[in-house]
Amino acid sequence: MGNPRFWLSLLALTAAGELLAAPPATGNRLSFVSCPIVRDTRSVPCWLSEYEGNTYYLTIQSDVSAEVQPPMLGHKVLVEGVVSAAPAVCGGIVLEKVRLSVMPEQDASCNTMLPADEHYTIDFNPRPPGPSGGRLAFDPSPASATAPAPAPPKGPQTFQLYFDFDKSVSFRHPAPLVSILEMAEKLHATRMTVTGVRGAHKLSNGNLLQESAGVGQRRAEEVAGLLLGAGLKIPATTTWIDGTPDADGVDDWQSRRVTVELLP
Amino acid sequence: MRVNISNKGKYWCSSLLLLASLCSDGHAQPASAPADLWWAPGSGQMLPASVDYPDESGRLGLINTSGAIGTSGHPFFEALGTNGRACVTCHQPANAMSLALTTIQQRWQATAGSDPLFAPIDGQNCPDQPRAEAASHSLLLQRGLFRVALPWPPRDSKGNVTTPEFTIEVARDPTRCNRHPVYGIDGTRHEISVYRRPRPAANLRYVSASKFGVTPFIGKTGMLAAVDPETGKPVNMNMMADAREATLKTQAQSAAHSHMEVSKPLTADQLSRIQQFELQLYAAQRWSTLGGALDEAGGPSGLGPQNMANGRDGVLGNNTSNYVFPMEDKWSQLPAGNDAKEKERNGFRASVARGHDVFFYRTFWISDAMHINTVGLGNPIKRTCATCHGMHMTGMDTANGWMDLGTTNRPWALEPPESPWAKELPSLPLFKLTCRADLPPHPFLGRVIYTQDPGRALISGKCEDVGAIVIQQFRGLAARAPYFVNGSAANLRELVDFYDRRFNIRFTEQEKVDLVNFLGVL
Ligand code: HEC
Ligand code: HEC
Repeated sequence: MGNPRFWLSLLALTAAGELLAAPPATGNRLSFVSCPIVRDTRSVPCWLSEYEGNTYYLTIQSDVSAEVQPPMLGHKVLVEGVVSAAPAVCGGIVLEKVRLSVMPEQDASCNTMLPADEHYTIDFNPRPPGPSGGRLAFDPSPASATAPAPAPPKGPQTFQLYFDFDKSVSFRHPAPLVSILEMAEKLHATRMTVTGVRGAHKLSNGNLLQESAGVGQRRAEEVAGLLLGAGLKIPATTTWIDGTPDADGVDDWQSRRVTVELLP
Repeated sequence: MRVNISNKGKYWCSSLLLLASLCSDGHAQPASAPADLWWAPGSGQMLPASVDYPDESGRLGLINTSGAIGTSGHPFFEALGTNGRACVTCHQPANAMSLALTTIQQRWQATAGSDPLFAPIDGQNCPDQPRAEAASHSLLLQRGLFRVALPWPPRDSKGNVTTPEFTIEVARDPTRCNRHPVYGIDGTRHEISVYRRPRPAANLRYVSASKFGVTPFIGKTGMLAAVDPETGKPVNMNMMADAREATLKTQAQSAAHSHMEVSKPLTADQLSRIQQFELQLYAAQRWSTLGGALDEAGGPSGLGPQNMANGRDGVLGNNTSNYVFPMEDKWSQLPAGNDAKEKERNGFRASVARGHDVFFYRTFWISDAMHINTVGLGNPIKRTCATCHGMHMTGMDTANGWMDLGTTNRPWALEPPESPWAKELPSLPLFKLTCRADLPPHPFLGRVIYTQDPGRALISGKCEDVGAIVIQQFRGLAARAPYFVNGSAANLRELVDFYDRRFNIRFTEQEKVDLVNFLGVL
């Protein structure tokens, strides 16, 4: 997860006297499905989730440019992350490398909104809960735009598109799809292969959480259809992996994907 | 007609008694009083370079940046079809190029319902009802709604029938059209009828600006964006309640077909003239009854038609560098005023400035709104009106502006209570949509959704688009009540009250008054 400045500058206290389960060891990987919780603050809200008696801090509200985007009340969230030693934020144990995916089915029990509490303040917010200062919260700095152009591409080029649990193409995909179109032009691609994968997660409780059958095919066909529909005029081979996938609890979010290979 | 040509630096003021006294800011007085404000098709008058019309909170101003428009023979103003209507029939200069309910009612009175405005094709609840009876036009006469008939199932851009993600049943058919053997969903024409307000045909340079956030893929969904058939380039998809028209030209062609019943398509020349006219026409409130001139030199740069004509299009304004409606704090710290008139004016301007701040800075929890709570911000988000209404100068969304605010979907859509003692019966159709079980459900409404108008989903066939409506521009609001796609807010106060209920905002009375005053001067 994102910005180190952000971590250091968040001031947070755990309310005295709160009964906590045994804290997890730093460095532990966690993977669980649970309700998200919103905690208001004087500034933007924090997002938390409880698992086995501990409260974890997931992210804060900022804007569309955030690397870790908040989940949704009314739905459970699939959380992956590594327990860090950083000071608690908004009363939650901080997870690093957080990956969140909203579970698609509705769950009315996920409705906890906690009021602002003076114990929890955020003294750095990349984007206040209203208009921005003019740029997106996590825009690349103008300096990075002046970096030297990469060498012209040679040989096959591979792209990974990642998906929310059980979902196909969404608001996450215009940018990577445009990158593929641009590369196809630079490379003078002559064909492409599109492989969709049905993902799976090994949860911390030992259970296997598998996406719905057919989602790999749906993703592959949708991605290929969009690229062709946007004017990419090259033959496409569409395949998918829909078996019982391996999952080891390490970055399992990467299994929910489509791989696009462009061939010169 | 009631307009005369203005000279540079002068503009027309209404001579209606009430307003005449307000036209005291050095501008020309009108030579004669118009009979009414109705612009009839084919009247052949000049549309001046700059002209004002009285409205609910003062005067609306229109500006043609290319100078006075001769409307004789002009395809926007001539009745080109078979039913006597022109574009101007439903896009009236005095109503900010939309059509106010009061105007519709006046036309009914004045013509005993014979005006082409009331043509059966879409000026009635369903075309085959008796034309002379007000009951046949009840949605037009009571809510300002025209029937919009769309093919069902939807067609793709090449005209092929597509397979939507949901099935539709008619749960309620008060207009007796959606179960009709010809016009109904299962009728011979395979159409679905929804009922919608006309949208302003001015400031369209902003509405059609394909800049910020426009790629071959729709920003909110990743699906293919519509393309301009002339250039092949993707467009911003910000026109019509469901973004079904890619460009002003495709829009005009289909409007001529559906509203005007033309016997042959408009020519390339007619389409170009309509487009040119629409791209140079600006509308905004120019005078406020209580707040005075909205376009005076040194005033807020977000108000008045001249600032609309000068403004930058396609710009994101939900930030403190551009602003959505820039006020430059011009009205935030005014002196109390010397005399009663100045006190009243400055007091009102201060209220407008506070209303702006409510719009721009007053946070509340935005929840369960498809295409805003689903685009990476979270559900709920603590934000402001300007989060959804971010386009500089218009308050639209910058691109792909459809969202489900709840104006047409249950549980938020305005519906009279069902009760044995009810005095009012539901007037709009209600559709039951059942989404495919093998796909993820709508994140907030599940797999069975009841709606008065499925909005964007009638075009995309997607469950997640049910009830998603493209945001309209905020300009000339005072000239074109009622509001929202289905006319469910009779006035600006009702619009604000809808938000208060929908998002449990708990505005104070002062905040509501200020917000209404602010919206009324746009
Ligand atoms: C019978 C009334 C009627 C007539 C005649 C009519 N319109 Fe419209 N117009 C509407 C309605 C209703 C809508 C909104 C439809 C919707 O949202 O689905 C609309 C929408 C529009 C819009 C979209 C504006 C926006 O911001 O989304 C434009 C532009 C427009 N009309 C131009 C025209 C032109 C040009 C003509 C003549 C060729 C015309 N209209 C004739 C009723 C009419
Ligand atoms: C969740 C996004 C969202 C938020 C937040 C929001 N709006 Fe809207 N607004 C919409 C949508 C969508 C429409 C179009 C709905 C329709 O026509 O049925 C709309 C339409 C409008 C219109 C135009 C009505 C017309 O008929 O021309 C006004 C004015 C308006 N909103 C004011 C406000 C104000 C004031 C606030 C803050 C209190 C606000 N909006 C907050 C989404 C939003």
